[in-house]
Amino acid sequence: MSDQESEETLSPEHSSVTTSAQQPDTADIVIEVDDVNFSYVKGTEVLRDITMDIRKGEVTALIGPSGCGKSTLLRCINRMNDLIPTAAITKGEIRILDTDIYDPKVDPIELRKHVGMVFQKYNPFPQSIYENVAFGLRIQGIKKKPILDEAVERSLKLAGLWEEVKDRLDSSGLGLSGGQQQRLCIARTVAVEPKIVLMDEPCSALDPISTTIIEELITQLKEEFTIVIVTHNMQQATRVSDKTAYFYLGELIEMDETIKIFNSPSRKETEDYISGRFG
Amino acid sequence: MSSAENQDSPAPPADGKKVFKRRGFQIFGLGLQDVIQFFFSGNASLAIIILILICFFLAKEAFLFFPDHHKDLKSYRQSGQEFVGFISEEVKAHTDLYSTANIAYYAEVNRTSGKEDTILRTYRTVLANVENRSAKTWNRLERELDALEDVVDDLEDHDAEDEEDRAEIAKLTKEKNRLEALTQPLRDKLRKEVNTIIEWEETWDLGVGADLPAEEDIAKIREAVLFEAYPDAEDEHPFIEEMKSVSKEKKAVVAEELAEFKETTKAMQAAIRPLKDLERELKKPADENKKEITSFSTAPQRRDAWLKGAEATDDPDEKARMRAKAEEVVIEEPDYEKINQVFYDSIAKHATLAAPLEVEMKNLYEQLPAPTEVETKSAKENLKRAAVFYERFQDRMVSNRKQIKEWRHDASISVPESVSAFLFGRDWTTNSSWHDFYGLLPLFTGSLLISLIALTVAVPFSIAAAVYVNQLASFREQSMVKPAIEFIGAIPSVVLGFFGILVFGEALRNLSQLEWLQWFPGFPMAERLTILNAGLLLAFMAVPTIFTLTEDALNNVPQAFTENSLAMGATKLQTVFRVVVPTSLSGIIAAVLLGFGRIIGETMVVLLVAGNKIKIPDFTEGLGVIAQPAHTMTGIIAQELGEVDSGSLHWRALFMVGMVLFVISLLVNFTAQKVLKKFQRI
Repeated sequence: MSDQESEETLSPEHSSVTTSAQQPDTADIVIEVDDVNFSYVKGTEVLRDITMDIRKGEVTALIGPSGCGKSTLLRCINRMNDLIPTAAITKGEIRILDTDIYDPKVDPIELRKHVGMVFQKYNPFPQSIYENVAFGLRIQGIKKKPILDEAVERSLKLAGLWEEVKDRLDSSGLGLSGGQQQRLCIARTVAVEPKIVLMDEPCSALDPISTTIIEELITQLKEEFTIVIVTHNMQQATRVSDKTAYFYLGELIEMDETIKIFNSPSRKETEDYISGRFG
Repeated sequence: MSSAENQDSPAPPADGKKVFKRRGFQIFGLGLQDVIQFFFSGNASLAIIILILICFFLAKEAFLFFPDHHKDLKSYRQSGQEFVGFISEEVKAHTDLYSTANIAYYAEVNRTSGKEDTILRTYRTVLANVENRSAKTWNRLERELDALEDVVDDLEDHDAEDEEDRAEIAKLTKEKNRLEALTQPLRDKLRKEVNTIIEWEETWDLGVGADLPAEEDIAKIREAVLFEAYPDAEDEHPFIEEMKSVSKEKKAVVAEELAEFKETTKAMQAAIRPLKDLERELKKPADENKKEITSFSTAPQRRDAWLKGAEATDDPDEKARMRAKAEEVVIEEPDYEKINQVFYDSIAKHATLAAPLEVEMKNLYEQLPAPTEVETKSAKENLKRAAVFYERFQDRMVSNRKQIKEWRHDASISVPESVSAFLFGRDWTTNSSWHDFYGLLPLFTGSLLISLIALTVAVPFSIAAAVYVNQLASFREQSMVKPAIEFIGAIPSVVLGFFGILVFGEALRNLSQLEWLQWFPGFPMAERLTILNAGLLLAFMAVPTIFTLTEDALNNVPQAFTENSLAMGATKLQTVFRVVVPTSLSGIIAAVLLGFGRIIGETMVVLLVAGNKIKIPDFTEGLGVIAQPAHTMTGIIAQELGEVDSGSLHWRALFMVGMVLFVISLLVNFTAQKVLKKFQRI
């Protein structure tokens, strides 16, 4: 109860943020999270009153201490939480391109084809590099070799992996290095040309050099995809994102331009967190 | 420094207490931990030592088989039995051909009298069944009727005029009346029983799906059964008489049509006679030779036995007698050349018989009607099989011609020859008066066929069940299905075999009679205990093994793969079949292999259910081969090992079979391990 009150009392302060987000033109908004509550088990809500807009061609970083609900929100966007039987959105709507994705008429399978996801732990299937990238197209029933070839090449180029693997497309995807495997997973995700790519701490299992490569990749990818990235690494957020949202205990504390958040956050909690005084 | 130490430590050593406790418990300088560790490692090594001992014992007993077997094969050759065996092979090949042609002929002759034959068959079955079920009353009535007959006969012997007999007659008449009064109620009772039985068609036991006579005929059959089901019934009921004669007439008509066919089969039967006579003629000297050779090879042992007996006894007379007996034992090697002369003499005779036989059989075979020229299904099938048998007969004649010509009693037997006589021998004949053969092939084929059927059935079922339970089922279903399937593994195999004999075999045979299942190979089945029956039961036994291991393999697929696939927009089924199953494929293959190991080593079920016929199944029936009985490698060991003398050739042969099984299991397990290793690497 007190949380809600504090949210209300605080809202005037950063009303400029929300208004600025809606200002330019609403046509740019790809993901619209509208006052969402979410719980894994009935009665205990892990997300409360989340409202945010994510714009086309931007990288949005979700930051916050462990357990604050940022990954949960990410998984709500492509309905991966459906796999947990008792999990459900208890309030509000998530709209992607003006469609309520929790509408019973929306097929989650169809949704996930448009909203791709890259996981923390890179996980190529134990198949060839080629088959890994072609997987998404194959499950959509595409069998023609030229189309697949073209898509594989394009995706691997997008993921910056083409030059490294073009001579061994038939060897196992598991033979690559960690960073390469993660880029392979990104290639696999973008191969189906999703509109949105969700990334759940994509670099946390990688060494610094691989991390740099992936970060560069993210800045390139945003030209074609809307990207939402969850990260624990605040430097990474400043390097790759255009907008940053700070979560704490299931609530969205603040969301704004990344530069603004890291230089002059409007909320004290945010400042405490980014300055390392807590979290 | 020391003052600081004293300040910090709460228990200074000054008061005599030690900081460290000494090790208390010790044996031979080992602490408790060491002893416990030693105990466990000792147990593990004990198991391994026992395993090695078992392997060693098995191998020793088994491999001694080969020298003995070699000796046995040698005596088979030296006695001339081998020579006769060649002729027997030819006769056997001929018999296969002739009997198939004969079956085809009779199937064809019966083609028009189907209705009458059905009536007669039904009548006989019902009558037998009725007599069986009312046996108690029937027997009592028969007893009384016999007694009555005796009394009546007695009465006839006595003269009413005779004074002495008169009293007897009175007595007998009284007895007669008593018996007559007794038989009447019995007769009524029997009639009532029979009536009940024939009224209730379900108890007729005609077999499910058997052809039934028309309604009006059934009524007549009832009447005939009622007429016939008494101990003192007259001849057959007129209806049955009529049916018999009609059937006979109809058969006669067809037989006339098929006169040529019949002539051909008869001529076939006649053609082999000279060769058969030769075979019989030669069997006797071969038998005698064998006895002589056996006597020679066992003579030293017999002499030793007498001498030992003489030493053991205290009675001087007995001692002398036994000594004399020992002296009597002749150790003289038979003159092989001489005793085999009769066979060398027969080579020419065989040649003069075989050549015309081949020509005649060729002619006769060509005279047989083509499968298209006959009408009944059975005749068609048997004529098709006859073609295969004719080819085999020809091949046999050609190959044996050379073998007989070049036969020598003293030709040496090479080691590969003697080993292949075991591994690829087509006969397993023991305790025979002629010669014992130890050929693995009939047992191996039986085991393999049964295992193949079991795998064909069990693999799809268990894998599908595992995929469903592991990937698709709700938690509630999982918690119900898994223990149920795993429970199958807890059923003792002897119970399952018992079920197979009493329930499943009968049900399967009844099922095989159904009209709409006739497309299934081997249906309708004549036997209850068949390869199919054993295979299906073993499939049931293999399900828990394959299911559990497959499920483990599926469980080992990282959750992340599933999640990734779903996040790519794959449906649950796509995820299962494109990601989860391919990823766990090697685990599934290992599961199938271990299931195979389980099946091929299973003993009790096959011993009870497979029919235990030691013969290579007849593959001319195509897939229908599964309706035949067979024997298995495991079954033969269980069945025969208890009854053989230890150390005998037969005994060692059984150990050798065990060895083969052991090697197969070893290979299967080894391959499974290899496959699994590959699986663990991802």
